[in-house]
Amino acid sequence: MSFNLKLAGAVAGVAILVSSVAAQAEVLFWSTQAKPVEEAQAMREQVLAGAGDVDYQPNDGGPWLTRLNAELQAGSGAIGVLGALHGDFSAMNPDDLVDLEGMMSGSDTFNSLAKLGTDNMQYVPWMQASYIMAANKEALQYLPDGADIDALTYDQLIEWAGNVMEATGEAKFGFPAGPKGLKHRFFQGYLYPSYTDGVVRTFASDDAVVAWEKMRELWAVTNPASTNFSFLQEQLLSGDAWIVFDHTSRVAQAFNERPDDFVAFPAPAGPKGRGFMPVLAGVAIPRTAPDMDAAKALVAHMLKPETQIATLRATNFFPVVDVDLPGDLPPAVQAAGDAVAKMSGAADANPGLLPAGLGDKGGEFSQLYTETFERIVLAGQDIRTVLDDHKPRLQAIMDASGAPCWAPDAASDGPCPVE
Amino acid sequence: MTTVATDTPMTDPRKAGRYVYAAGVFLLCAWVIVPLYFLLINTLSSPEAVNAFPKSFVPEFDLGSLTFFAGFAGMLTALKNSILVAVLTMILSIAVGAPAGYALSRFDFRGKEVFRMLILLTRAFPLPLLALPLAVMFIRTGLDDTIFGLALVHTTLAMPFAVLITFSLFSGIPLELEEAAWTLGCTRLTAFTKVVLPLILPGITASAIFAFVISWNEVFAAAVLTIENRTLTAFLLTNLDTSPLHLKFAGGFILVVPALIFIFAVRKYLFAMWGIANR
Repeated sequence: MSFNLKLAGAVAGVAILVSSVAAQAEVLFWSTQAKPVEEAQAMREQVLAGAGDVDYQPNDGGPWLTRLNAELQAGSGAIGVLGALHGDFSAMNPDDLVDLEGMMSGSDTFNSLAKLGTDNMQYVPWMQASYIMAANKEALQYLPDGADIDALTYDQLIEWAGNVMEATGEAKFGFPAGPKGLKHRFFQGYLYPSYTDGVVRTFASDDAVVAWEKMRELWAVTNPASTNFSFLQEQLLSGDAWIVFDHTSRVAQAFNERPDDFVAFPAPAGPKGRGFMPVLAGVAIPRTAPDMDAAKALVAHMLKPETQIATLRATNFFPVVDVDLPGDLPPAVQAAGDAVAKMSGAADANPGLLPAGLGDKGGEFSQLYTETFERIVLAGQDIRTVLDDHKPRLQAIMDASGAPCWAPDAASDGPCPVE
Repeated sequence: MTTVATDTPMTDPRKAGRYVYAAGVFLLCAWVIVPLYFLLINTLSSPEAVNAFPKSFVPEFDLGSLTFFAGFAGMLTALKNSILVAVLTMILSIAVGAPAGYALSRFDFRGKEVFRMLILLTRAFPLPLLALPLAVMFIRTGLDDTIFGLALVHTTLAMPFAVLITFSLFSGIPLELEEAAWTLGCTRLTAFTKVVLPLILPGITASAIFAFVISWNEVFAAAVLTIENRTLTAFLLTNLDTSPLHLKFAGGFILVVPALIFIFAVRKYLFAMWGIANR
């Protein structure tokens, strides 16, 4: 009977499949970074070429964490090395990560972040990036009189975007307010520091009200489709946005495809300086790694200067160790590197740090800023009411995590207070 | 398809009805075909053309995006895994679902209604919720990272469709047909395979297609439960959302085509179920 045959075939197939689970000698590199297919390809072919047998698997945050937790719970697993953002690691239990001695980056700030509040390195800084502004060169003619593109203020940016809107009839400022956009980082690392010289302490201050008023003014000249933008390189290339704010690696494609059409420049400044914020990714080893020596060798490989340069080419993330950058870097790297250098070297620079010590409250923390944006700017609710509404929630997050203040907030004893 | 052969003069309302019908058919076809066509055009376009507007309606046959995927490590293995998992899911869900559907339609037993509800419950829990305990269990039992293990999960997802579709199919076939077969010397089994099975084959195909598509489209469990043996969806889809536009189109095209080929291959069985008998 054909049905019986099918059944028999299925059973036989199952038996073969079950018995064909092969032993694995590769190191599994389980990463949330370098996820776009081109970057993943470059990671495999260039960055990891000299690192022995490595299986580089980039993933969404959800499956990444679920798989990792499953292996930790089961007490054994396949993952050799983890690659993720500082925020991903800080949400984990430090006991689940192997202490990494003798490996560190060239930045003390990053190294102390990587200890996750313990005495040992829980992950090793791997690469860094930041957020910058980028513009289509066609927009430059509408710059307000006397404005220097490398030293813009928020008022000038709003005026500039307004000029473009007047001239073209379309709002051409692009803001990553889409579902996967990194808008919360703009509020935490750029808007708040520039206007209030803080992030947590000053969350509901009078300065913050001014900041959100400016955000409303900026939104009035922003392409309303921005609530759907997550990677502004797409809108730069398609012409839907002429002036944008985004992560360096999320505008990279625009510079690499049409290097002569776009300029990169520092984020604008507010009354309290030019706020900006780094992005830090790291590599770590989970305690369930099947081959600890091979995993440690891979982590060491990631920190070699030549690997760091290959990583820069592959991902547009910058080195965290001291290296001499070669002259033939892709246009996106040169443009972003220049903009970041101008931003951090500016006289009014007000560098912030990544939110630290929030543990598994990190997601909630960012969500609060996103909600504040949605209520004030998108829904048009009263700024003071919304800030006062959210203030106790922010304090609860800080109290629950016990996180002390980080720059640019003034240091605190105990959990950072919301003033 | 149905073409009206008679050419009798018609009254106005009937004519209007025909226009509405034709417009409806046209709209439904366009609904499916236009996005697929745009997918094809953009797959065969250079990155510049993909980002340009307005779009051209003629592909320029730039194979750059597809060539990129041809060189993408592990694509073919992932494609093979996807097909294996989907076929296995299909076989398992029919092998388990069809008997359940038969039992539901032919026998009365206590808790029958509850059972029908419980079947649906396998779809009531989101996979991200189930994936963690499943993955822990799979790692402990050795099912982890196997095609069979993933097929088991997908079978669970496809089961409600398999059971409920076959249940309604069996219910549509009169018991008398089977009884007649019994009186003519068939056993219960041969009556089933010789009389009932040919009648419900189209329906079985339909639920097989459901199972195939469910397995083909499922990402989360596949991304968590497989490492070396990734399926194409887990391999590509999780990375596509952050990729440049032209690669999104090419990747989407690659994901869609095998499923389309499969559905075309089995469509005659499906049409037979809807009473369009020209195989």
